[in-house]
Amino acid sequence: MTQDGSLHEALKALEEEALAAVAAATDTAGLESVRITYLGRKDGRISQILRGLGQMDPADRPAVGAEANRVRDRLVEALDAREGKNDVGAAAAPSLDLSLPGRDRWQGGRHPITQVIDELVDIFRGLGFTRARGPEAESEWYNFEALNTPLDHPAADAQDTLYLKEGFLLRSHTSPVQVRVMEGYKPPIRILAPGVVYRRDAYDATHTPAFMQLEGLVVDEGITFVDLKATLAEFARRYWGPGTSIRFRPSFFPFTEPSAEVDVRRVWTGSDGTEHDTGWIEIMGAGMVDPAVLDAAGIDSERYTGFAFGMGPGRIGLLKYGVPDLRLFFENDIRFLEQFGQR
Amino acid sequence: MNISLRWLQEVAPELEGADPDALAGRLAALGFPVESLQSLAEGVRDIVVGQVLEVTPHPNADRLRVCRVDGGHGEVQVVCGAPNVVAGGWYPLAPVGAVLPDGMEIRKAKLRGEVSEGMLCSERELQLGRDQGGLMTLQGAFKPGQPLTEALGLDDVRLEVEVTSNRPDLLSHRGVARELAPSGDAGLRETVIPGESAAHRQAVDLLDRVSDPREVRGAGVTLRLEDDSRCPRYLGLVIRGVQVGPSPLWLQNRLRAVGARPINNVVDATNFVLFQVGQPLHAFDLNQLAQQTIVIRRAKAGETMRTLDGIDRVLTPEMLAICDGARPAAVAGVMGGEEAEVSGQTTDVFLECALFRPGPIRATRKALGLSTDASYRFERGVDPEGLEDALRLAARIILATAGGEVVGPILDAGADRFARTSVTLRAARVQKVLGIPFAPSALAELLGPLGFQIAAGALEETLQVEVPGYRSYDVSREVDLIEEVARRHGYDAFPETLGAFRPGSVPDDPFLQLEDRIRDHLVAEGLFEAQTPAFAGEAEGEVALQNPISTEEGFLRRELLPALLRRLSYNLARGNRDVRLFEIGTTFTRGEAGQPPVEVPHLALVLHGARMPAHWTGEAAAWDLWDIKGLLLRLAVGIWGEGCVLRPAVSVTPPWAPDTCVELVTPAGVVVGKVGSLRPQSLDLPPWARTLWGAEVILPENPEPLTPMRYRAVPRHPGVDRDLALILPPGIWSEGVVQRIWSEAGPLLAVVEIFDQYQGKGLPDGARSVGFRLRFQAEERTLTEAEVEASVAAVLRKLDEDGIRLRGS
Repeated sequence: MTQDGSLHEALKALEEEALAAVAAATDTAGLESVRITYLGRKDGRISQILRGLGQMDPADRPAVGAEANRVRDRLVEALDAREGKNDVGAAAAPSLDLSLPGRDRWQGGRHPITQVIDELVDIFRGLGFTRARGPEAESEWYNFEALNTPLDHPAADAQDTLYLKEGFLLRSHTSPVQVRVMEGYKPPIRILAPGVVYRRDAYDATHTPAFMQLEGLVVDEGITFVDLKATLAEFARRYWGPGTSIRFRPSFFPFTEPSAEVDVRRVWTGSDGTEHDTGWIEIMGAGMVDPAVLDAAGIDSERYTGFAFGMGPGRIGLLKYGVPDLRLFFENDIRFLEQFGQR
Repeated sequence: MNISLRWLQEVAPELEGADPDALAGRLAALGFPVESLQSLAEGVRDIVVGQVLEVTPHPNADRLRVCRVDGGHGEVQVVCGAPNVVAGGWYPLAPVGAVLPDGMEIRKAKLRGEVSEGMLCSERELQLGRDQGGLMTLQGAFKPGQPLTEALGLDDVRLEVEVTSNRPDLLSHRGVARELAPSGDAGLRETVIPGESAAHRQAVDLLDRVSDPREVRGAGVTLRLEDDSRCPRYLGLVIRGVQVGPSPLWLQNRLRAVGARPINNVVDATNFVLFQVGQPLHAFDLNQLAQQTIVIRRAKAGETMRTLDGIDRVLTPEMLAICDGARPAAVAGVMGGEEAEVSGQTTDVFLECALFRPGPIRATRKALGLSTDASYRFERGVDPEGLEDALRLAARIILATAGGEVVGPILDAGADRFARTSVTLRAARVQKVLGIPFAPSALAELLGPLGFQIAAGALEETLQVEVPGYRSYDVSREVDLIEEVARRHGYDAFPETLGAFRPGSVPDDPFLQLEDRIRDHLVAEGLFEAQTPAFAGEAEGEVALQNPISTEEGFLRRELLPALLRRLSYNLARGNRDVRLFEIGTTFTRGEAGQPPVEVPHLALVLHGARMPAHWTGEAAAWDLWDIKGLLLRLAVGIWGEGCVLRPAVSVTPPWAPDTCVELVTPAGVVVGKVGSLRPQSLDLPPWARTLWGAEVILPENPEPLTPMRYRAVPRHPGVDRDLALILPPGIWSEGVVQRIWSEAGPLLAVVEIFDQYQGKGLPDGARSVGFRLRFQAEERTLTEAEVEASVAAVLRKLDEDGIRLRGS
């Protein structure tokens, strides 16, 4: 018992002494000598006490051992704290250069145009849209005729089409998906159709013969031109941010009536107080679904109305990222793709 | 469509003084953006009219002439190289100090020893036209020194208007004026022809018309219509005794202002009518037409003719031809023939004013590769009600500018008599489509000025709208009128109030969701998504394009890897050593007859270089087979669920390297892809290139939903591991051993792992020692040694039958 009690006191005294020594040390060497004096494996004073536990009465061992361990932990903590606080590590070369870089991992990324589509889809998802898909090799019926575009009308020329075998072609727009969805589902319909479309365009800074398009279609009772404008205005504000407005200009697409070209413009004040104005930028085509298209798909055009729109994520990407040439998106240079990283 | 501001203002006096920019803005708001606004006087303000008084050969140069020119400020000497300069002629003169449109300043100079104080100019040098065959010859009466802008009426602005293909009525000054004039159609003025005599006017006004569906005769001419499906109506008029020559200046100037070249008074008259009202006409030299006969018929196979552009054309029975008694004299609605061209010798003219159906004209235009002002209008649709007026207008201009006399009657072949459509417009429907209410009176106010005839409808709140001929091509239904209402009301005037909406009935596409998952997975593995066009050469595709951009892109790809390997090679060539790309895309194979090509979505990926970024602790190892095998299996499980297997490929063909190719098998046992190293022969790789790794996988078009995750009890009792070092004789695959272990070990086996492989000393030739770790586990209790030993013994017994034994036993 007495042994136990006196050891307790000795440990207390040792603790105070050691902590004072830690506080008094002025440099790394001083701290190191404190460490050796008290914690050194062989002759450290606390280590000795711990080693001596074996000779003690087994009944006393747990209590003394716990106290000795507590004192040791406290001392280690104090030493560590001093070493960190005083920046002493940097002054004297440590054994480990902690400034060396950690191990990295390869970073990957979605294609920038996929990223644009993802962002656009996310916004429209918030406006109640789901995604639909259709074939890239289409029939003339779905690409033109079902979309109120007679094959002998100049409108069928406007998109210079790549033809496959008799009666089939590579879709020149994602609008055929409108017809396929309307054939397969009953209103209300609110879909987006992202996908590749093909045109007989030579490669240049703003054209490639294959490119992505994002089509939207809404069909329900009571859908109006005001809903179309409102939906696209809401989309534009969410995508480009506050200060964005849209402008509708009359246009002609055989499958919508009335039809419009849609421009967006953003005006904002920068953090340095300068005014910015993008000017009007043409961004998509849109319109009220032509009743002939609804009829061709078997939807009662007297009861239901709808709107549709289509935009080019590639073109939006050029504007958004300041990419000067559409062809960069298809070179797939790792150094280009890396810039778009995982965001 | 080029519009001359002055011409437009003549048609619509209300537009006098209108600002061209404001008109352009108004046109854009109506749906017809103005691509360019060009002040015609721009660049030629310094140019004057000069008269050449004398032309003498240059003493030191065969091709040059020395001209004495009256430029208004006394005579000057100008050295000129143009072959067409003649004494007495009027030409544009750039005096010393003048600046040409291209910025060149004219200086006094010596040319081969002769002083030149100015320059006589061609159309091209003044950027007034494309003709560079010689000097621009001015026809008419001028004053020397008169500014060229005044002489040619260049105080004008040309608006290049983009007209959508549904609005042929806007391919004329009258049509554009109707859209722009505040009072619309009612505000347009009748054409005024300078110098027209009352007698001429009366002669045309009093012309009779004889009609027959098939054949009409008159004025010594027979007109026979043999194909009224392609030409529903054909009007002809004979004018005899014309004097063909240059047009008066007003007419030349009108044509030049819209970018057309004056030719002669008769042809210019027809072109004026084309740009004025949008009706193409054609003038034939009547005396060149065999038997004074006009036959409108399909061309016979093999019939040929030389068109006005000097090219010999082979016609087909699909084409409509305007023929004389013997052979074709014009490709109907596209271009006339050289034979019956109106020339200086022409005295008698047969004037054609016809209606040709759009579809066949378009087909002919495409077949001949010949688009003209006429074909452009016919294939969009000309005003079926305007034929006779257009013919009479052209006749009046010819009489006023070329003289002669009209010989009646007007010959009128074809049974087609255009009847106006009457469309019911319901105010309620307008609101249902547009979202805001319009009173019937407001609708009438918006539509009336465009020439729609409006009466009250049979029901309340409806209108009965009669569509004029020039709008018959784009307006035939109620919705067409609703669009007009929206357009004339102004798109900007509609609010942007977002209303409530119902959720749609279409589920989010499962394949697009799968694509998202695959992208997430591979991006997390450190790969970049690539996109390549689906075009391929013949070696890489079987679905041919009828009209490819190039032969290298004449087919659609069968697989994604070839293009992806080219992108990899492209990266290596640019010094990018660590390349990790994947692509999800459509592949194409021939479909059955009458069916579209078969589309199958694929995934391909390529890896090259280090498997991790360089680190100072040591060089990172290169990608190897085990990396890509692991990557693919993780991905496959994400697509098809547990149970996917990668096993040695059954057949391996280039570009796959034979020794490392494995195939991916779904849990259903379907082989869906290959994984391994690639040795593409066609790629030029740098010498430092390391092994290329790749995979191509067929994706499920309609992916099954994965089995939903279900909780399993986490074992509360420790499992027991047994490590077995097994000697596998040559030809035995570890996968088979694993399967054997699973089948023999009984229900307590929970995990089998391979943790080691050794080959070399101490083993029979070709054999390897593979370490298998078996974990036994029971859910509800701690296993006994005996149970585990029994299982292991059963496994070893079975393996022994296959010649597989424990190492050291």
